[in-house]
Amino acid sequence: MSTLSIRRTSAATSPAPGIRSTPEYAKLIDIGSCIGCKGCEVACKEWNDLKVEPTANFGSYQSHQDLSAHTWVLMRFDEVEMSGRLQWLITKDACLHCEEPGCLYACPAPGAIVQYENGIVDINQDRCIGCQYCVTGCPFDIPRFDRDTKKVYKCNMCVDRVDAGLEPACVKTCPTHAISWGSKEDMLALADQKVDLLRRRGFENPVTYNPAGIGGTHMMYVVPHGDRLADYRLPATPTASPAPLTGLGALKRIGAYVLGFGVLSSLVHYLTIGPQTAEDVPADEH
Amino acid sequence: MSTRSELVPRFSSAQRLVHWAVGLSFTLLLLTGLAFSYPALFWLTHLLGGGTSAMVLHPWVGVVFSAAMGATFVMWVRDMRLGAADRRWLRAIQAYARHDTGHVPPAGKYNGGQKLFFWAQTLLALVFLVSGLALWFPGAIAAVVPAASTLLASMRLLHYLATLAGGLLLTLHVYLGLFAFPGTARGMVDGKVSRAWAALHHPAWRPDTDPVTTTRDAERR
Repeated sequence: MSTLSIRRTSAATSPAPGIRSTPEYAKLIDIGSCIGCKGCEVACKEWNDLKVEPTANFGSYQSHQDLSAHTWVLMRFDEVEMSGRLQWLITKDACLHCEEPGCLYACPAPGAIVQYENGIVDINQDRCIGCQYCVTGCPFDIPRFDRDTKKVYKCNMCVDRVDAGLEPACVKTCPTHAISWGSKEDMLALADQKVDLLRRRGFENPVTYNPAGIGGTHMMYVVPHGDRLADYRLPATPTASPAPLTGLGALKRIGAYVLGFGVLSSLVHYLTIGPQTAEDVPADEH
Repeated sequence: MSTRSELVPRFSSAQRLVHWAVGLSFTLLLLTGLAFSYPALFWLTHLLGGGTSAMVLHPWVGVVFSAAMGATFVMWVRDMRLGAADRRWLRAIQAYARHDTGHVPPAGKYNGGQKLFFWAQTLLALVFLVSGLALWFPGAIAAVVPAASTLLASMRLLHYLATLAGGLLLTLHVYLGLFAFPGTARGMVDGKVSRAWAALHHPAWRPDTDPVTTTRDAERR
């Protein structure tokens, strides 16, 4: 995607170059409409040409145990008990494309993580140095490190398709329209409708998952049991503040002054008091 | 009576080797560490071959640094016990900085400031080692610790704070040894200092009976 569209860039020393005003996109996952077919997983692998990872049955309907550098989306299946009944919770686990991206704030490599005007957060692997600070900075545990390339990978919202005016591959393939795609505004309105529908059908706490702590996300969920977010593995109040722990923000500025002060005071000492040469000091003064 | 310009041994060859192993490895670690902390200094990663290469090599240089610091500790710890005389010297540190020699209590082979420096760098080396290992293997931490992100973020904070402290110590060390007191750095090059230097900075040190340097270097003098 064009540099004209870059709104934020990691470890930047100058403002991001983006000047385009494009609509913000969002993907909406209606968990209640998902039938768990994993078509989105396959579409993601196909479009992005990601290698197949052998997997084994581990007592779940889930395909893989975890996300990986080659598996950017994973349908997680969790069996939990609710009001004495077994509930099968499905979550489409992938990058949420945060408005305030913790990965980008934590990244020390200039330009390795960018956020486009349309809200997509993308990793430029050619600039990634493999420090994995983004893994620590992400409130959703999404980025995955690849040992062979020593780079980090995650869902890029099919940025190449979106750039060409297409929807992401997972959206296109979903047979039940559980995944919707459009402007963030439209998707928020659609989410409201879906939440209303769920409420009318007897769900007590349906919610739209678009957490405010990170300024909202560009992949949102309609969660049927909004009071059980932890069971969907969704943090209730994720944060990605650039300071003090992830980006070390203001602290680093203070640190720079402290180091500069150290060097400067040495210089001042040298220029005012000056060096002391032992041979110049008379022996009786010792 | 020996002349004031006569040279006396101060550091053994092993001590000098270890000193430079610590010094060079720490300088590399500091510069690449600052590169990872400050985008404006990212170009310093080229000292170790660029971003990814520096990221891969930084911890290995850390291994060299840690080993050298271990050797430093073993070689110097007996000389570095802080006593009452050192506390008196430390109280007069401002007079020392002003070259007001008359008001500085006589120091032995190492003054109170050098001893404090030794313990500070030992503590920092431990902080660097523990936090550095965690940052080197974040995957291993995540596999065993539930709140790995918070732990790793704290480790980064610790590693950064230790970098600041270490950077200040290095600045002070280089300034004093190389600029403020001419004749000091030589002790870490050919291991010798002048009698005048010894009498000014370490009047209570007896170079002729110092066990560290007299054993092997004495006959070469």
